Amino acid sequence: MEEKLREVFARALDIPEEMVKDELEFNSIPQWDSIGHLGLIAALDEAFGIMIETEDVIDMSSFKKAKEILAKYGVQV
Amino acid sequence: MSFWMLKHPQHLTAIMDEESGKEITYGELASLVQAIIGKLPTASSKMLGFILCNNEVEPLIAYLAALQKKDAVCLLNNAIHHNLLIRLVHLYQPEWIYAPDVVVLPESYQVIHQSDRYFIWVKKTGMFQEHHRIHPDVAVLLSTSGTTGSPKLVKLSYKNIQANAESIAQYLELQQEDRPITTLPMHYSYGLSVIHSHFQVGATVLLTNQSVTSKRFWDFFRERKATSLAGVPFIYQMLERLKLHTMNLPSLRTLTQAGGRLEPRLVKHFHQMAMQKQWRFFVMYGQTEATARISYVPPDRLSGKEDSIGVAIPQGKLSIDEGTQELIYEGPNVMLGYANSREDLGKGDEYHGILRTGDLGKMDEDGFFYITGRLKRFIKLFGLRVNLDEVERALEKVIPVTVACVGDDRMLAIILENEEYADKAKTEVIHLYKLHSSAVQVKVVPEIFRTANGKIDYTKITEMVM
Repeated sequence: MEEKLREVFARALDIPEEMVKDELEFNSIPQWDSIGHLGLIAALDEAFGIMIETEDVIDMSSFKKAKEILAKYGVQV
Repeated sequence: MSFWMLKHPQHLTAIMDEESGKEITYGELASLVQAIIGKLPTASSKMLGFILCNNEVEPLIAYLAALQKKDAVCLLNNAIHHNLLIRLVHLYQPEWIYAPDVVVLPESYQVIHQSDRYFIWVKKTGMFQEHHRIHPDVAVLLSTSGTTGSPKLVKLSYKNIQANAESIAQYLELQQEDRPITTLPMHYSYGLSVIHSHFQVGATVLLTNQSVTSKRFWDFFRERKATSLAGVPFIYQMLERLKLHTMNLPSLRTLTQAGGRLEPRLVKHFHQMAMQKQWRFFVMYGQTEATARISYVPPDRLSGKEDSIGVAIPQGKLSIDEGTQELIYEGPNVMLGYANSREDLGKGDEYHGILRTGDLGKMDEDGFFYITGRLKRFIKLFGLRVNLDEVERALEKVIPVTVACVGDDRMLAIILENEEYADKAKTEVIHLYKLHSSAVQVKVVPEIFRTANGKIDYTKITEMVM
């Protein structure tokens, strides 16, 4: 499942999968700015059939954090 | 009285800064500005300063210092591409540059002052060029296109920025108690206008570089009780996704929107939300060439006029050119003119208060204006104005084949006849305009559509691609 999440991140942010690591943080690369974030959230919603809550949208500050958040929605990562 | 003189009761809070946690009163701000004036170079003639800024206290103080000492000042994004900065320095020959300590400037400049994170650089002695005088009216220089590679700047006068600050404060009914939170950079005319108009009334500006997608932004918002939010269309898309109405924001009272057309669906969405929450929601229109603002829709007239740009701001007048249908604006906030180099700073007012907006318009029976199209080929991506002809010219310098660009306010499409250059074209445009890759699409076609007389047929291409 982590693999699927990695794929969604890479596709939404338009970066190679190798770049998607736990340490990857919001605003640390040009592709993951606030515009990229909006696209990323939409892609996650769609890929996992969920609707991420506001608090989680603004809390998703790294790939590691995204894994923790998605676990709350029953997505096993 | 001019807003940059900061003549308000000394104890009122002027700035709350997210980064440092500092609160600064108008009295303290005035002293800090004086201190920086003392650090900046002095000369018998008017000088030009560059400020590489973000939404932090230090560059804002330097900006106010430049206005108070009557130097012309150009605000630039502190993340500006180094090559573009060097090009601007060569073209405009600023006497001083205020920049973050990480920026390195050519050898003709030396550091004369260092603070925590910022340096003041000056042109070395003997390098002043007396013959390039600056017209006394020139106050502020802003880039029209945000982050593009174009060195063209809009020249604004002291009268321009003061008049627009007054007009905006008047129709938004700004008060001392207001606390706008910054959502836009101050080198961008809309972002700057928020600061100007609130300093005009002695309000408190909440300075932050955080975006609405970050937790820190909303923590700061709640902690310092922000009362208003300004947004370009992208920010409203984000606020919709964040379900703004479900967020606990008891201090919020006003939403403003400008920087491009917000789709009527979203206008309705936020209009309804505002009515339920008893917020005021202002849909507005403007251009950097008019300092910032040209028109607004009074919130109580928004129903049924969701696609209107409203009526002219106080002191301004809108009309439609009968021949071309172009929207014409007249007012004291119309720029002096454009500059492409230092020599152009010597020229005074070339527009005489009249701006041809480049947008096509119409007026309804109630006197409200609407934009129906564009005279020139501009699109707005995330609030950045992109000239499609300029993109084509830039690409043609690096790609040896014909390129056609079309687009709307969501997407820039590059059309090529040759697969080989597709990646290069995309990379180049993203790099040059600092666009998000999801907003740029490359399409390879067997043959670019042309009109009977051989010109690229943009209408047909747009139909095919968008």
